[in-house]
Amino acid sequence: MNLWPFVLYAALVLITAGSMIGLSAILGERHKERFTNQPYEGGILSEGTARARFSIKFYMMAMFFVVFDLESVFLYSWAVAARDLGWVGYWEALIFIGVLVAALVYLWRLGALDWSPDTRRKTR
Amino acid sequence: MSSADFVALLPLIVLGATAIVVMMSIAFRRSHALASTLTLVGLAVAFWSLWPAAGEVPRQVTPLLVIDRFALYYFGLIIAATFAVVLMSYGYLERHDVRREEFYVLLLVAALGSAVLVSSDHFISFFLGLEILSVTLYALSAYLTERGIALEAGMKYLVLAAASAAFLLFGMALVYAETGTMSFPQLASDFAAGGAAHLWVLAGIAFMVTGFGFKLAVVPFHLWTPDVYQGAPAPVTAFVASVSKGAMFAILLRFFYQSGSRDLHATLLIFGIIAIASMIAGNLMALFQNNVKRILAYSSIAHLGYLLVAFEAGGLFGAAAGTFYLTAYMITTLGAFGVIAVLSASGRDAEDIEDYRGLFWRRPGLATVFTVMLFSLAGIPLTAGFLGKFYTVAAGTNSSIWVLIFVLVATSVIGLFYYLRVVVALFATEHIPSDAERPLPVVPAMGGVTLGVLALALIWLGVYPHVILHAIQSAMSGIF
Repeated sequence: MNLWPFVLYAALVLITAGSMIGLSAILGERHKERFTNQPYEGGILSEGTARARFSIKFYMMAMFFVVFDLESVFLYSWAVAARDLGWVGYWEALIFIGVLVAALVYLWRLGALDWSPDTRRKTR
Repeated sequence: MSSADFVALLPLIVLGATAIVVMMSIAFRRSHALASTLTLVGLAVAFWSLWPAAGEVPRQVTPLLVIDRFALYYFGLIIAATFAVVLMSYGYLERHDVRREEFYVLLLVAALGSAVLVSSDHFISFFLGLEILSVTLYALSAYLTERGIALEAGMKYLVLAAASAAFLLFGMALVYAETGTMSFPQLASDFAAGGAAHLWVLAGIAFMVTGFGFKLAVVPFHLWTPDVYQGAPAPVTAFVASVSKGAMFAILLRFFYQSGSRDLHATLLIFGIIAIASMIAGNLMALFQNNVKRILAYSSIAHLGYLLVAFEAGGLFGAAAGTFYLTAYMITTLGAFGVIAVLSASGRDAEDIEDYRGLFWRRPGLATVFTVMLFSLAGIPLTAGFLGKFYTVAAGTNSSIWVLIFVLVATSVIGLFYYLRVVVALFATEHIPSDAERPLPVVPAMGGVTLGVLALALIWLGVYPHVILHAIQSAMSGIF
């Protein structure tokens, strides 16, 4: 049984993680001044609380990006093999897109695509 | 794919399609009654489709899924249990000021994930099914977002389930690295040729045991259970305790039996230790709880330990005993959490043992159902729980696993104490809280009927188990 690649791999993982933490602990500088624990904001004194509230729509944008990004990733991989997969693959891709369209319709009706909050429908 | 493939896959297709139909109905007309009716119709159609599918089994559909009698039996369990959860959720959600309709979409998707899980005979479909199930459960546990404790439950479940999924994946990768295959039948031939003794395969199986153990909530992977059971809404807890664990036990049977890795000495040893630890720890910790949901959580840890005894017993008898036990356990937990669900008002779930003091004198029907459920959990004759334990012990005796049987019997006696403690509270005649102190909500009609049916099913199974035993016997042909 040939175990040495596994042992080497495990050792490399430990060495990499260990040296990253260890070296910065040994070589890193240590200060304890008045403003050491303040966040660095380009030299300007930071102000206000970090728990600021943002509108949910920025988060929604990020979520939509992930959804459509993933869709295109799957469709690209299908497109590469589209000829080999034939009609079965075509129908499967169609079902996949159909489910995503259904989800999009749901989100649209829910008002998730409206940028301005006034037009968002009351959903309860 | 041929048309026979589609017929065999019909239950899965119907479940998936229903989820989309319900989602579309929400988009155009938001109505709780409509969403729940559509869900019930879809589940009924999915259940009906088991019969045409049964005409095509056993059938390998794509390299990923196998539809056989074993899968169909568990499909039936999953669909029926989800049906019961939907019925008891309706009244529960009516009392809460949340968006109610999406609950059913999530429930349907979780049922779909469980169904994929029990019909998978490939690592890919196994993992996909598991993730579909888990991701929906995160959202379901935290569904009542105005409750901090529900958010905590969802978050805990998310973090721990993700970590355990990583263990499971790494285990699969190790097995694949050595054997070069991910399908269970091919693993079986590789293991039979001596591949199972390889260090990587053993390490892989050890990692996978972690993943299995987490989902089944057996000691020492049980730490999430009480918090998630307590925090999640009662119908969701019912779902986690019955469907999610049932599906995981099914894939446990299928993977370890089909791949032949159950017969490894290491597998038997590790599951034996886990079973003993779960039975002892689950029962002992339940003694110290005053919260009914937490009592049931620890009792579920113990019950999964009993189930593992059936797994340890092995052979056709062991697998059949385990499946019967699981069937009885699913009905029982659905009933027990169903009682909690119908008694819960909008602010909090009825989970304090004081909520149940003298319930028999205020709501005799509910108290009777709850008593039957608790008797079944304790394994008292005339209930299905007794027969399940009886078959498990019989299977264990057959395989001479005396230590496990001894622990099972001894811890069952301990278990009796905390189940009876709740029963004593139910029938207490003193210090019964008045309606002003602890108001009882009106029992919703659908939830009440569901509970009655579950209690009757439990006694029917306990007195006349012939029909279901026959179904289980033929279902086991799938993994042998």
